[in-house]
Amino acid sequence: MAEANGKIMTAKEAVSKFVHNDDHLIIGNYTVGSCAELVYEVIRQKKKGFTLYSQSGIFDVEVLVGAGCVDRLITTYVIRAGGRKGGSAVERALNAGTLEMEDYTNFDYNARLVAGMHGLSFIQVLEGVMATDLFRKRSFMGEDKFRVIKCPYTGKNLLTVPAANPDVCIVHVQRADKDGNAQYWGALGSVAAAALASKRIIVSCEEIVEHDVIQSSPHLTIIPAYRVDAVIEIPWGAHPTEVLGHYNIDFFMYGLFMMADGTADGLKAWMDEWVYGCENRTAYIDRYIQRFGSSVLDGIKARAFYSAPANYGSAFTTRWDREGRERNMGLTMEELEKTLQERGKLYE
Amino acid sequence: MSKPYTLQELLVIVVAKEIRDHENVILGVGLPTTAGALAKALYAPHATLMMESGIIDFEPLLPLNHIADAHSCRGFSYATDLFSAFTMTYRGFVDVCFLGVGQVDKYGNVNTTVIGDYYKPTMRLPGSGGAADFLSYAKRTVLTMLGGNFVNKLDYMTSPGYLDGRDSRDKSGLFPKNSGPSMLLTTKGVFRFDPVTKEMYFAQIHPRVRIEDVKKDVPWDLKIASDLSETPRPTDEEIEFIRNFAPAMSAGRELTLELTITNMMNKAKKL
Repeated sequence: MAEANGKIMTAKEAVSKFVHNDDHLIIGNYTVGSCAELVYEVIRQKKKGFTLYSQSGIFDVEVLVGAGCVDRLITTYVIRAGGRKGGSAVERALNAGTLEMEDYTNFDYNARLVAGMHGLSFIQVLEGVMATDLFRKRSFMGEDKFRVIKCPYTGKNLLTVPAANPDVCIVHVQRADKDGNAQYWGALGSVAAAALASKRIIVSCEEIVEHDVIQSSPHLTIIPAYRVDAVIEIPWGAHPTEVLGHYNIDFFMYGLFMMADGTADGLKAWMDEWVYGCENRTAYIDRYIQRFGSSVLDGIKARAFYSAPANYGSAFTTRWDREGRERNMGLTMEELEKTLQERGKLYE
Repeated sequence: MSKPYTLQELLVIVVAKEIRDHENVILGVGLPTTAGALAKALYAPHATLMMESGIIDFEPLLPLNHIADAHSCRGFSYATDLFSAFTMTYRGFVDVCFLGVGQVDKYGNVNTTVIGDYYKPTMRLPGSGGAADFLSYAKRTVLTMLGGNFVNKLDYMTSPGYLDGRDSRDKSGLFPKNSGPSMLLTTKGVFRFDPVTKEMYFAQIHPRVRIEDVKKDVPWDLKIASDLSETPRPTDEEIEFIRNFAPAMSAGRELTLELTITNMMNKAKKL
């Protein structure tokens, strides 16, 4: 944990400080609002040897694998560019023998994190998978991918998966305060479990807000400050994916990526420009506007649709009423202290 | 005679009609979300549309980018998480779900993971995502196969259909009774499953398709329903809904991609 008030930093500082070679690294976001800039910074710092966890691998997993950062991948879903004729960084790495991959279902993967976040060593999952190759075909986890136990109560065979506690989670949210209280809304997916199961947490957000914003909407907080190591304000931090209330997916940039991703050379050229070629998100957005103008970005900005405020108010916020009397005993402070004195309750 | 329609529009309507009023529905991305929107608008106004990302009871205003897309609606009724979306399915609260298919065998077992060897893939497909658990525990599952293949043996079994046929699914003890795939939709027609043998048979043919075209896709001796029906022609109301809601769905993937790339290139040149 970082020291109090020492959590606000740049992506460069946070990744350098909290992401290490050979870590079990988890992308906290699921399909939407991916922590793109944190992923790019990990790549720019040439970190290597990861066991990468991702609930659903999209461009974020592709660029990490394409950059050679990942030795092992645990996921439920990967993308493919260009349909049957195309390809993907994951497919190329599997065939080159540089990547091992373990396939789970969405629930199995998420359950491992739920076990991890609650401190359990394993968790029961849905047994139907026992009839499939997800259960039968195993990679680097071997016997420990799934184990079957007998339920001590019903005697039935239960399918289980081990808890996962990744070393470090990178995650993007809508807003956070400087202490790290991270607020996220929309498709909740497994974002909270991914973060809370992890040992270290790096949060990037569209905006840093005052603590009283958090206090008035605690139902939106998915990661509490005391668990967070670093907070980075990165507007457009999930681009080209979307952040509810901020911007929609950028089909233009996503399209450029998908056209590039079908071949290793194509992906490398795209990453040279958009990952290695931009030192941070400000440089990335500047380059984007320089290349394509600002009309695309302006066109995908969200128009506001505010949540109705939840009323966290109460009848009173002190035990003393407007006349200065304790609400139940009916005494002023002076009268109470006098009574305490008379009854022999006060010591010198 | 109603107005001219596209094949994609016909397919969306077939899928949408599988949703009954008041049902709880898990939608996958692509064709099913448009079908869900159509069903909600025309056939099943009280259906509860849900996605595994935890977006529950939403009313889509435009097609979804993916199954975690809350941008396509203005709010929704219940924000839960992925874990709970699946335990809810496990407990029997999901009536019907929709899954895309890469390979399928005669008992409705599905591969969406890999073509060729699992460890050195000829073609790595997306994987399970939610598919295996949904096909396990939803009361009914509608399979859609637009680009995939019928095979005698799957390269990889991602999601369990009727396993080895007959009562093998029920006998395994792993699944709710009577669950499993209820139909498979392709660009040529609708396949359903024999109640006893659980073997897939051809139940409904799309207009302009010949039985020979259907049979040549299937490597086993495909049985044809004695009461084989033809998919009804879309109504104007259905066509108009789909074309307004999801013009790219009406156009189909290839044409949409071609038109989009042309438009993007023109834009990029101007910039």
